Amino acid sequence: MVITLFIIITIGFMVIRLMPGSMYADDADMTAAQMEILRAKYHLDKPIPVQYGIFLRDLVLKGDWGTSIKMYIGVPVFDVLKMKIPVSMYNNLFSLLISLPIGVLLGIIAAVRKNSIVDYTTSFMVVIFISVPSFIFATLLQYYAAFRSGWFPIIYEASATGFAKLHSLTLPIIALSLGPIARVTRYLRAELAETINSDFMLLARTKGLTEAQAILRHGIRNSLVPLANVVIPMFTHIMSGSMVIERIFSIPGMGGLMVSSINNTDYPLTLAVLIFYSVVSLVTVLVVDLAYGVIDPRIRIGGRHIE
Amino acid sequence: MVEKERPILSVDDLSVSFRTYGGRVQAVRGVSFDLYKGETLAIVGESGSGKSVTIKAILGVLPKNGRIDAGSILYNGEDLAKFREKDFHKIRGKKISLVFQDPFSSLNPIMIVGKQITEALTLSLGMDKDKAKARALELLHAVGIPDPETRFYQYPFQLSGGMRQRIVIAIALASDPEILICDEPTTALDVTIQARILDLIKEIKAQRKLSIIFITHDLGVVANMADRIAVMYAGKIVEMGTSEDIFYRPAHPYTWALLSSIPDLDTKEELVSIPGSPPNMISPPKGDAFAVRNKYALELDFEEEPPMFRISDTHFAATWLLHPNAPKVEMPEILAERIRRYAEEKLANAR
Repeated sequence: MVITLFIIITIGFMVIRLMPGSMYADDADMTAAQMEILRAKYHLDKPIPVQYGIFLRDLVLKGDWGTSIKMYIGVPVFDVLKMKIPVSMYNNLFSLLISLPIGVLLGIIAAVRKNSIVDYTTSFMVVIFISVPSFIFATLLQYYAAFRSGWFPIIYEASATGFAKLHSLTLPIIALSLGPIARVTRYLRAELAETINSDFMLLARTKGLTEAQAILRHGIRNSLVPLANVVIPMFTHIMSGSMVIERIFSIPGMGGLMVSSINNTDYPLTLAVLIFYSVVSLVTVLVVDLAYGVIDPRIRIGGRHIE
Repeated sequence: MVEKERPILSVDDLSVSFRTYGGRVQAVRGVSFDLYKGETLAIVGESGSGKSVTIKAILGVLPKNGRIDAGSILYNGEDLAKFREKDFHKIRGKKISLVFQDPFSSLNPIMIVGKQITEALTLSLGMDKDKAKARALELLHAVGIPDPETRFYQYPFQLSGGMRQRIVIAIALASDPEILICDEPTTALDVTIQARILDLIKEIKAQRKLSIIFITHDLGVVANMADRIAVMYAGKIVEMGTSEDIFYRPAHPYTWALLSSIPDLDTKEELVSIPGSPPNMISPPKGDAFAVRNKYALELDFEEEPPMFRISDTHFAATWLLHPNAPKVEMPEILAERIRRYAEEKLANAR
């Protein structure tokens, strides 16, 4: 994992530095001499490999990730992140938390009532929600549920707390969750439909369990094992969707930060955002791998023999 | 051997069909049989002959596209063919249990085996947990699983195929059923394990006075198991009789063909196989379904279905060859010779 992270940092660093444009090119009121001083201060006058060396040295020896050089001048990048992360995570985790159970529930209903009207309706919605990007729903929701009807605030109210905050986040969370809900539904429907046809479901019924008991005790848990697989891409999907959604609803979160730091060529900040997203993805993978052991005894106990 | 009393289960003229894209598949076409207390009835037939469908109909676990078109399944004065899903809960697992073909897929891979046994007791019989566990351990012991305390907490993937099948049998026995249905219980197992599982089933049957319906495509397996045998072909029972009747006095050409195709170590002849393949059950042929593959077929066989002819009190077969006006046709010489030899061996053993 450390190696993966290192490779990501290296490539990220190079790519960000190679982006066209100089960070002070648009500052017309700065003299050439001032620019030179600033470049020297942030080592931007040196070749990229040397810059990378300096960056690594500071990172490893001092634990210093650098300071923002454009947007929040002089503020260490991690202090900037610390300010933004809670806002985004609030959104993203909330979206994950509601999309998993709803998706699972819809998937179960669709699988149990396979080839019924309910199933067809669900499948139809699933196709729409997967293929239409979230920002379309975001704008539609913003227009109808906020602007036209006034049920929800049009944009995020940063000062609100508690329920009011949740209220202003409702639309972005819904917009973010539709896609993931559809994914979970589709996946679980396929898995569960297969599990329901398996021999052990038949055995569960012939030993006297009701159909509901059999599905609950034997079907669902078995179908959840492979579902852990889609949770990883789902969470990264939510995060990337969140970048655009945050813009639409003016949420001062990570998504907005990433876009504006790239636009402003604030190199350290862009890199920090990138590292943040990489770490979250890697941790998600790790958590899912560990979760497998908890859900699936074949992995938990199978591993013990090898040790 | 068989107590002559009222049958414990009586299937009469049962027909089952499946809705498919190609049309209605008539999987079972008018099957009738009785099962008496304490007897083992074997249903023999090749793949697709409708034997598994028959027992699924009895247990009410037909796939969603299947339905019972006609007939009745009488158990304890109630017609299972008219049962709804909720009615079956008092029958399934409690009165009639099923042992599956493939112990590798019939156990839930991520639940400890102990729980798979106890849940039948706790959920459908309302037994409390400690009692259910004690009962499960007892069952594990009864089906010959060593060290039940340890096995109770293991997952199916930690057990061998034979042991898993023993677990499946333990599950089937959990609530003391009257009828045990075994759907090719040994097909997926090694030959050496097969024999032990068959012995186990016989032993359990004797101990618990079970009635068994034993489904198989392997006549060799039923030879030592069954009291009576029903031979199925294309959704119908073509011959029915005691083990003796079927093995020593077979009357239907299909039974002849089946018996001739059992490998025999004492002759040098090439193994006999039945030509052709079973008919398409979406539009079953007119007349006798086996006629096209039957070298003894009469012209009438292609026109009209033969009724069940009574050969003796216990022995019936559906072939026109048994009609008084039919030409006299003897069973194939290979088979006749084999039967003579078996009979002699049996006599010799008896002395």
